[in-house]
Amino acid sequence: MSENRFAHLMLLPAGVWLLLLFAVPLGIVLAVSLGTTDPVYQAVYGWHPENFADVFDPLFGPILLRSLLYALATVVLCLLIGYPVAYYIARFGGRWKTLLIAIVVLPFLVNYLIRTYAWVAILSDEGLVNGVLEDVGLTEHGIRFVNTPWAVIGGLVYGYLAFMILPLYAALDRMDPALIEAGKDLYGNRWQTFRHVTWPAAFQGVAAGCVLVFLPAVGDFVSAQLLGGPDTYMIGNLIQQEFLEAQNWPFGAALTMVMMGFLLIWMLVYLRSAARASRETAL
Amino acid sequence: MGGLAACGIGRGVQGDTNRRIEPKVDGDLYYFNYSQYINPQLIKEFQKKYDVRVIESYFDSMEGMMAKLRAGNSYDVVFPTAEYVQRLVQQEQLLRIPRDKLENIDNIYGYFDDPWYDPDSAHSVPYSLYITGIGYRADILDNMTGSWNDLANEEAAGRIYVLDDYQEALAAGNLRNGFDMNTVVEDELEQTKEWLTSLKPLLRGFSVDTITNMSSGNAWIQHLWNGDIVNIRYRVDDPDAYQFKKITQDGFPVGSDAFAIPVNAQHPGTALLFIDFMLDPRNAARNVEWNGYPMPNFGQDEAFAELAKGDPNIVVTVEDLETGDQFANLPQEDRELWTNTFLEVKAG
Repeated sequence: MSENRFAHLMLLPAGVWLLLLFAVPLGIVLAVSLGTTDPVYQAVYGWHPENFADVFDPLFGPILLRSLLYALATVVLCLLIGYPVAYYIARFGGRWKTLLIAIVVLPFLVNYLIRTYAWVAILSDEGLVNGVLEDVGLTEHGIRFVNTPWAVIGGLVYGYLAFMILPLYAALDRMDPALIEAGKDLYGNRWQTFRHVTWPAAFQGVAAGCVLVFLPAVGDFVSAQLLGGPDTYMIGNLIQQEFLEAQNWPFGAALTMVMMGFLLIWMLVYLRSAARASRETAL
Repeated sequence: MGGLAACGIGRGVQGDTNRRIEPKVDGDLYYFNYSQYINPQLIKEFQKKYDVRVIESYFDSMEGMMAKLRAGNSYDVVFPTAEYVQRLVQQEQLLRIPRDKLENIDNIYGYFDDPWYDPDSAHSVPYSLYITGIGYRADILDNMTGSWNDLANEEAAGRIYVLDDYQEALAAGNLRNGFDMNTVVEDELEQTKEWLTSLKPLLRGFSVDTITNMSSGNAWIQHLWNGDIVNIRYRVDDPDAYQFKKITQDGFPVGSDAFAIPVNAQHPGTALLFIDFMLDPRNAARNVEWNGYPMPNFGQDEAFAELAKGDPNIVVTVEDLETGDQFANLPQEDRELWTNTFLEVKAG
């Protein structure tokens, strides 16, 4: 068969999968977001666009803002921690590269929920860290690490760090080391070489990593639930509460659609920048 | 789209609630409950005694349980709270239980012959009793007053948790303010909301992870249920440091939950055998020792009295049931008022 036909056929399994398990459920969420609830708390389809107006209630403004801020902090911290790690493995890993990347990825094979619970155990007032601090005499009843905004951000960083390191590593690994030598040949010092050669060359990796961390971090609810305090309520927690406790599926679905719409904008920005970059390198 | 307009999502199951069922083995038991709520040893013994498997699933909230049931999942035995038994009975989702066929049914306290949530106890068999109170570290705090104001104890600032449950949180506020626990008066709920919001600077969080919070030392004061304090004591080095306050002066929520067989159960016979097995006095006694929650079953009276010897606060009496505050099955708008009020507390 022609190459074109073959290519299209190869797309079929993924296409069907995406259609059935992504497009259709998304359509259902959209339909639910326009519905209402009947007296026995079952969601009923209908036409109630006012659910979307409720999303913009001023009560939820701070929650949205907080979620964005936590996600941004997470991206920045992941970048600060992940870039050196990816750089080191890509440039100096040599024949240990694959092993080192495997070691980075290994903890992420453990379920996210369990990894977050592990943090609770380690950082509790009478947990590992505080146990040592108490023995040394630095604290009497333990320092409150968990149930703070920084614990939530820490949990988010820990949860999504791999999504930053892997694309960064891929971009840095792909970069021709000769470029760096050229930069040094042209009398650039280490910082200038990094700024003018390495950073732009691997920028698509940075962009991909930032998007892959930012998007899920905004909607995260596990970290805030396990590591958060009374003032770390995020949009993900709100959606969870609307679906479960309040049994208000239509409103939860409306919140979901608005959040997805917002994140989609950033996704499109990233895709356009990636498309432009690949056109430029192809020239 | 027009045809979908009348559709609900997860309509619930249609079935004959009066289907005749007999206590006999008719397959493996599909069990759906909170986790850690029945002594696992008893489950193992039930499996051995009747040569069946017990396939366990767990929910962590009544709403979660309802979502699964409404979606049509088939379980043989579930454990709704009293309020939800009433809801399920009204929606015709529970099978009628042939009480005359259960050998151990006479062990149940008389109060449950015709409870408010299930006339003639036709569709449920009570499982356990519980009350909500405040657990605290007696080795650190000595100024507990036994009122809901203890949730604002400044000495424990930053180490206080309130239950992340809209009913329990609002109930504590309503009782503290002297209102009816189930009030739906907007003014009163507004005052409760203000009190709860005023607590937030002192709180460490809203959480139902009561046992972990207290046993890890994160909580010096935790809004929790009576059985939890028993479980906490089993886990810590110094059990006497963990005490429970029964808030008799302001009033406290008291409740019960029950065994129930959903209308679409595929093995109701095994389910009946399981219920009868759990009602056996010796099994009930062993269950309360493990669980910490009393069962309304004469067979466990002695065992629970033994457990409560050092701490009469954890006892739930029939008098508590008759005179105490139980959560009412609120109609939709009132329930929304409650959930929105709690949402404003958490988000505000």
